[in-house]
Amino acid sequence: MSAVETVLAPPTVRRHGGGLRVDSLDIRAEGRGRSERIVRDLTFDLAPGAALGIVGESGSGKSLTAKAIIGLLPANVLATGIIEFDGKSLLDATEPELRAVRGATIALVMQDPFTMLHPLQRVGATITESLVPEVRRDRERARNEVVRRLAEVGLDPSVAARRTFELSGGMRQRVGIAAALAKDPALLIADEPTTALDASTQSDVLALLGGIQRARGMSLVLITHDLGVAFGVCDRILVMYAGSLMELGAARDLRDDAQHPYTRALMRAAPPITHVLERFDPIPGNVPRPGTVESQCPFAARCEFAVDTCRTVRPEPIAVTPGHGVACLRLDAVRASLRRSDGATLLRVEEPQAAPDVARVSGLTKSYRRNAARPAIDGVSFSIGEGEALGLVGGTGSGKSTIARCMMGLATADSGEIVVGGLDVSDFAGLTIAQRREAYRTEQMVFQDPYASLNPKLSIGAALTEALEIRGGGRTEVPELLERVGLPAEYATRMPHTLSGGERQRVAIARALAIRPRILICDEPVAALDVSVQAQILELLRTTQAEQGMSMLFITHDLAVVRQMTTRLLVCHNGVIVEEGPTERVLDHPEHRYTRQLRAAVDTSRSPEEERLA
Amino acid sequence: MSRLAEARAGAPRRSLRRVPISIVVAAATALVFLFLAVFGTLVAPYDPDLQDLALGVAPPSAAHWLGTDQLGRDVFSRLIVATGPALAGPIVVAIATVLVGASLGLLAGYFGGRTDDIISRVADLIWSLPGLLVAIVVIGVLQGGLWLTVAVIAFISSPHAIRQTRSATLAQIGLPYVAAARTMGLSDVRIVVRHLLPNVRATVITTAMLDFVTAILVFAALAFLRIGVEPGAANWGTMLADGQTLITVNLAVIAAPAIAIVAVAASITVIGDWGHERATGEAGR
Repeated sequence: MSAVETVLAPPTVRRHGGGLRVDSLDIRAEGRGRSERIVRDLTFDLAPGAALGIVGESGSGKSLTAKAIIGLLPANVLATGIIEFDGKSLLDATEPELRAVRGATIALVMQDPFTMLHPLQRVGATITESLVPEVRRDRERARNEVVRRLAEVGLDPSVAARRTFELSGGMRQRVGIAAALAKDPALLIADEPTTALDASTQSDVLALLGGIQRARGMSLVLITHDLGVAFGVCDRILVMYAGSLMELGAARDLRDDAQHPYTRALMRAAPPITHVLERFDPIPGNVPRPGTVESQCPFAARCEFAVDTCRTVRPEPIAVTPGHGVACLRLDAVRASLRRSDGATLLRVEEPQAAPDVARVSGLTKSYRRNAARPAIDGVSFSIGEGEALGLVGGTGSGKSTIARCMMGLATADSGEIVVGGLDVSDFAGLTIAQRREAYRTEQMVFQDPYASLNPKLSIGAALTEALEIRGGGRTEVPELLERVGLPAEYATRMPHTLSGGERQRVAIARALAIRPRILICDEPVAALDVSVQAQILELLRTTQAEQGMSMLFITHDLAVVRQMTTRLLVCHNGVIVEEGPTERVLDHPEHRYTRQLRAAVDTSRSPEEERLA
Repeated sequence: MSRLAEARAGAPRRSLRRVPISIVVAAATALVFLFLAVFGTLVAPYDPDLQDLALGVAPPSAAHWLGTDQLGRDVFSRLIVATGPALAGPIVVAIATVLVGASLGLLAGYFGGRTDDIISRVADLIWSLPGLLVAIVVIGVLQGGLWLTVAVIAFISSPHAIRQTRSATLAQIGLPYVAAARTMGLSDVRIVVRHLLPNVRATVITTAMLDFVTAILVFAALAFLRIGVEPGAANWGTMLADGQTLITVNLAVIAAPAIAIVAVAASITVIGDWGHERATGEAGR
């Protein structure tokens, strides 16, 4: 405990309050006669006017910590310990007292800008509602205030008259921030504020948040799963894993000298945009439930440095330098390894070879509504060579998923031609059953959401058997298939809901591979997975693609991922392919304005590893 | 079959400890009536049709727990023996409704378009008919018995099953696992039977239970009006009608069948609701 306190000496001058102290915070879920500890013994503080990033994967307890601060824990979840805000205890506060604090001195920005605003209210009304009563009652003042607030978040005054559904995701999140700031809180808690946004919008909103925080001298707690995001905005960073503090320190210290094996593994797991990794460096295994790792290091099972004591003793945070605490028993071993290694492997990518086409798309156009302002995709043409890994990047609404859906016959194009393996599949409804089967033996798809792409009522074995039967195989091949995607054969009897997201995605990949397709279409296959698990799936996809000589259409919003996975790249914007070429060339020397914009957005939140190499 | 067994083996064991007391009571009530329905003639203390005109209507006594009716017949025995016919009709209605309704609902939901239009509009048309009135007219005019009654009630309650199954199907159809099944080149029949049906099963079963409850009430109402019933046979609905003039002497003549009807309807409704909540709660994970 004392070690942690010395770690956390507040460095900033107090401007107008906003200091937060959290000490020995435990959060438990009670219910059904059991109690599970979700957050354990968490201690940190936040100086007035500082920005703290809480970084963690799903199940790390980061969002519950935020909810505990603002007193919005679900009914069966209890927090104990100390949470003090400007010297006042928040855990002991009554509901009316908390209500006076919420919004006024501590405000919250939520993750999903698409559902957090009243869908029918005008933006002006949304912001006015949050203003302090004196201003709100005076119409003239309220109107001026709304204009001023919109300007602060970079929106035009005319936005005040618009309704939520007329705004883009980025604009909605700006409105959300403006509403949260309306009472001039001393502390703003932002829970994954940019996760639902496009890469380029994401960097704008983050820059805005950081700018406002500094300009106002307001305290900020930014909750995110993305270390890069936290580096970009925060002074200090707290890394959580399975309900426990792993590492806490100044952003600069963590960037350049992260010491906890988990923090380091997280950084390595995020692929770089500047070069292609020879091998991904995934963290093996899955995130454990906090309750199962109560009296040990939560990361022990996945840690390369773990020894027996890690599995029996819970590490307390130790100050490695003033202000930098690490909860690890094996710090010496970790440091020793740092001195030894650190030669990143660079892989030169060969120029893509011209190969005969397996699939060709030409002049593909599709509108979802008859009178849509512009079609979802508009005259898209490309081809995929035998054994080629083709990337397709673009933001939300760029039409990239529509292309995949049309190719797979899940949507029918208005016009244009799709030829897959010599078969014209432009109109699946017009194909005979035999032709349709033939098409699906040629092309298979891996979907984004592994939580919904497996039938919940079908065991893993049954699902895979069904796919194997299409190729004339059967149940006997299931163990081999599971092994190929890195799962034990016993998984055949399991039901999907007993598997983690990463494991489910492996099953979904196995199901597609069972059919031995010539083209695998992957639509954002890792977007729904935890950061530490993503690299596992990418590695699996990349090696199978190479080993089988299979073609792949890899759809993603993530430029760093597409660099690792593909040799040729298409950039899709507003339903049009705006740039096309070898992945290396497109990413390093983008020609189109939109590609440059995407690339620039990534550069602002690069990890230090890449910066060193660049 | 083996695949089904495989699927079950992986399913989590449901613990019986968390069954709420209301469900235990409802299940016990339903089981008692089910037992009476099957073994009623063996359990009944008297022949239900045995008349004792000398005794006539009498209040409950040690010999006749629920008293006797105007012909001196034992009300308790008549109540028990009537359980079988009272449940048999509605059970057949529920099964028929769900077989037809679930199939049509699945088809409408899965294929959409023209198929959906036709099925849904016909369902709406049937829905708009005043059910009880149609039943009275059709059964009355055709002088039908039990089976015509079953057919008519099944017909008028089928839109409920169609709509419920259709909307449950629509909720599933957009999920990627259905798209994945399509892109494996599986036949429509296989997708509907193997992938969709298990995932809408909870809705189908609940619908069947609610249709059963509706049918019990409609059967009783028709019997009360002496439509579609055999004169003289023990029947909850006719007992209610006959008992109206006797309440001052023996309240049980009318109270017993009324309570029986309510008890069966309520217990099945409670069980159905609970089962649906559990099933959909689990599917949501």
